[in-house]
Amino acid sequence: MLEWLTGSNKYPEFWKLYLAKFETKSNRYVILNTETTGLNPKKDVILSFGAIGVVNDVVRIGDNFEVVILQYKYLHDNGMSNEFLIESKLTKLAEYPAIQSLVDYIGNAVLVGHRIHFDIEMINDVLEKMECGKLKNEALDVEIMHQKLMDVAKPFSLDDLIKHYKLPQAERNSASDDAYSIALLFLKLKTRLGFK
Amino acid sequence: MGNSIAENIANFLKEYAPFNYLNHEELIQVATSIGVVNLDKHKNLFQINDKLHDSFYVVASGVITLTVIADAEETLLNKCYPGDVFGLRPFFAKNNYMMTAKAREDSIVYAIPISTFKPFVAQNPQVLDFLLESFATNTRNPFDKENRGKLITDNVYTENQQNEIQYFQSLAYNKTPLKVTITAIAKDTAQLMTENLMDNVIVTEQNYPIGIITDSDFRSKIANGRFPLISTIDKIMSSPVITVPENVSVAEAQLLLLKHNVTHLCVTVDGSDKSDVKGVISEHDLIVAQANNPGVLIKEIKRSLSPKELKMVREKLTDLIQSSLAKNIPIPHIYNISGEIITAIIKRSIELSILDLGSPPARFAWFSIGSQGRKEQFLLTDQDSFLVFEDVAAENYRDVKDYFLKLAKRATAILEKVGYEYCPNGHMASNMLWCKSMSDWMKQFNNWMKTPGDKSNDISSIFFDYEFVFGESKIEDSLNDLVFNNSKNNALFFDFLGNDALRKHPPLNFFKKFNLEEEGENKGKFDIKNKAIMPLVDGARLFAISFNLRGINNTYLRFKQLAIVDPKFSEIYLNCADAFLILSKFRTLEGLKNDSNGNYINVDELSKPDKERLRNALGPMRELEELIKDKFQLTQFS
Repeated sequence: MLEWLTGSNKYPEFWKLYLAKFETKSNRYVILNTETTGLNPKKDVILSFGAIGVVNDVVRIGDNFEVVILQYKYLHDNGMSNEFLIESKLTKLAEYPAIQSLVDYIGNAVLVGHRIHFDIEMINDVLEKMECGKLKNEALDVEIMHQKLMDVAKPFSLDDLIKHYKLPQAERNSASDDAYSIALLFLKLKTRLGFK
Repeated sequence: MGNSIAENIANFLKEYAPFNYLNHEELIQVATSIGVVNLDKHKNLFQINDKLHDSFYVVASGVITLTVIADAEETLLNKCYPGDVFGLRPFFAKNNYMMTAKAREDSIVYAIPISTFKPFVAQNPQVLDFLLESFATNTRNPFDKENRGKLITDNVYTENQQNEIQYFQSLAYNKTPLKVTITAIAKDTAQLMTENLMDNVIVTEQNYPIGIITDSDFRSKIANGRFPLISTIDKIMSSPVITVPENVSVAEAQLLLLKHNVTHLCVTVDGSDKSDVKGVISEHDLIVAQANNPGVLIKEIKRSLSPKELKMVREKLTDLIQSSLAKNIPIPHIYNISGEIITAIIKRSIELSILDLGSPPARFAWFSIGSQGRKEQFLLTDQDSFLVFEDVAAENYRDVKDYFLKLAKRATAILEKVGYEYCPNGHMASNMLWCKSMSDWMKQFNNWMKTPGDKSNDISSIFFDYEFVFGESKIEDSLNDLVFNNSKNNALFFDFLGNDALRKHPPLNFFKKFNLEEEGENKGKFDIKNKAIMPLVDGARLFAISFNLRGINNTYLRFKQLAIVDPKFSEIYLNCADAFLILSKFRTLEGLKNDSNGNYINVDELSKPDKERLRNALGPMRELEELIKDKFQLTQFS
C-alpha cells in the first residue's frame, strides 16, 4: 500500500524478484570481485565481475559467476584500448544485462569482498540508472575482518592478505581468480574470528 | 558459461593420478563439482568413526596426515602432499571412517563428490585401479611400497579383510598351525613339535579345535611324571581352547590372553570352536605387533641380509622418532634409542661386509664420529667414521690395510644404500687417511693434540667424539687413555678447540634479529646447525675433555655432567643442556617436515611463540662463549 511512496511498482521485474528473495535468510555467501576502470563511482565503470559461492564453509566451484562488461563507449570516449574485451573468452554482456544477471545470481546471499563497499557503490550506481533500488545484501569486507583480527587499523591490500595467510599464489589475472583467493581468505578469517 | 576457476583446478588436477587418465572435458566436469575446504593447522577433516562424507579429497596445498588410533596411541599412516588423494573409504565401504585426517599445517583440500566421480571410475579401469591402490596404502602404511600391488587385489574388496589390514598388518601370526588328532600319543606329539620348532599344537576333531598343547603342558603333566610318555593327547591337553575370529584386533587379542590367562589363541573361521582352524596367535606375535618398538627394530636389523632390509628398518626408525616427538617423549630418551638402533645398523653393515670378505686378518675397531658418535642423530645425515686395526708385522702391513680398506668401502657403501650419504669431507673409514694401524692413530692424535693448528687446519674436532661400534673394545680404551693423558695441562690444545668453538658466526645480529643466509640456495633461511647447534656441541666437547669426562659423548649429557663436576657454573651448563634439546627439536621437526637434514630453518614459517622460543634458546650460547673465553686463555690462535 505504500507503493506510491517507494515507487516500487515502477521497478523492473527482475528487481522485484530480487527483493522477494529477502523474505528468507540465506546461509550462502557470495564472494564478489569487481574490476573497474578506477576508483570514482561517478566517473568510472565496471569492467568485469568474478564471483563464487561459499556454503557451509566450502567454496563451491560450480557456484560461480563471471562476466565481462562491454564498455565500448566508455573505453572509446576515454581513448582506452578495448583489446582485452575482444581477447577474453568469458561471457560478454552489455552493462544492464550484466548487472541484471549479477543480481539474479547473488540473490539474498551475504556479499564478501575486498573493500566490498566500493564494489557495491559501483553496482548501486548502475542500478540507479536502471531505475532500481540499492542492493539490500549484507556485506563483509575481508580487509576489515583482518584488521579486527589483528587489532590494527592500517590498510591491507589483497596481496598483503594473501601473503599474510600464506595462501597458495596461483596465477591471478582475472576477477574470478581474485574472487577465489578472497574466498579462501574469507574461510580462514571466518574460522579465526570464530563466527558462523 | 565459462568457469575460469574450474579451468584452473582442472589444470592442477591433470598433473596427478588418477585425474591424468581423464580428458579435459571430464576434468572440467569434475572440477566444477568440487568444493574447496580450508583447514587450519591441526584441524580434523574427519575422525575415526565419523560418518562417511559424500566426497573424497585431494590435497591442494599443505600437508594432511592420516592416523589411526591403536591401543590408545595415534599412529601415523601416511602424509598426503599436494596432489595426493585420500578419504576414499566412501567408494568402497559403507561403514564409518577408520582413520583420522588432520591438517599438519594450514591446508586447502578439494572435496570431490563421489556421485560425480563414480561414472568415471566405472568407465575407466585405470582410475579404479589407482583408487584401490591408494585406498590400500592409505589404510596402513608400514608395508613396504613394493607390496602395494599385492595388497590391492588380495585385501581390499571385502569388509572383513579390511579389518584385518587395520589391525593385523604387522601381526604375522602362524597360519599353518600344527594339528594332531585326539588319539595322538604324547611322545610323538612332542617329537612333532620339536621337529617343527613350535611351542604349541592344536588338537582337532574334524578340523574343529578341541584343545591345545603347549610346552607348559609337557612340563606340568609329563615331565613331572604325572602322566606316562605314551598317554594319549586328550589326557594332557588344555581344553577348551580360546578361539577368536580372523579379524580380531590386536587389542582384543591382548585382552583375551589376559582374561583367560593363556598364552595362545586359536583362530577359527567364525570365531567359535565349531568351525575350521585357521591359525594360532601367540603372545610373541602380539609383542611383535606393537608397532615399531625399538627392540623389534634391533632384532630386525640383526636378521637383515641386505641393504634394502636395513633401509626399511631405518625408515621405520624415522616413523618411530616422529611419533615419539609427537608424544612428547623426552628427547634424551629418543636420542638414546635411535642411537642404539643406528649403531645396530652400522654394526650389521660391517658384519655383512665381513661375511662377504672373509674374516679379518687382524683385530680392529670401528668408530662412529660426529653426530652418530655423540648419539644425537635423528635424521639421515652424512656418515662419519674411522677404523683402527692392531699393529701387525711390517711385511703384512700392506695386505692388512688393504683388507680393511676394502671392508670399510663395502660397509660405507651399504650405509649409503640405507640412506646415509657419504661424508663430503671424506671423514670415513674407507678413506686411506682414516683407516690406519693403532700406532699410526697414536701418532695422529698426538699430532692433533700437541701441535694443533699445525698444517692440520682441516682436521675436524669431530674426531674427538668417537663412539665404539664394532670390533675390539680394548682399542677404544687405549684411545681414551691417549686423549686424556695428552689433554692434561695442554693449554695449546684447549686454546685451539676453544677458538674452533668460537669461530662460528653469531646467530643473532646486533638488533636481535636472526642472521639469515645471505646467498646460495638457502637464502633467507636460518642455519640452525652451524649457527646454533654446533657451538653448543663444540663447547660441550671442550669442557668435557678438559674436565676429563670419559665415555660421555652426548652433548646433552655432557652439559648435565658438567653441571655436577663444575657446580660454580652449573646454571650455565643446565641452560645450555635445555637449549640444546630445544634447538635439536626444531631441527628434527624441520627435517621431518621437508625430508631433509633440517640444517636450514625457514624462520618466516615459524609461529610467533616458536620464534621466541628459538631466540631464547640462543641465549645460553653467549654465556657459554663468555665462559670459554674466561676459562681458557685463547691467545695463540685468535
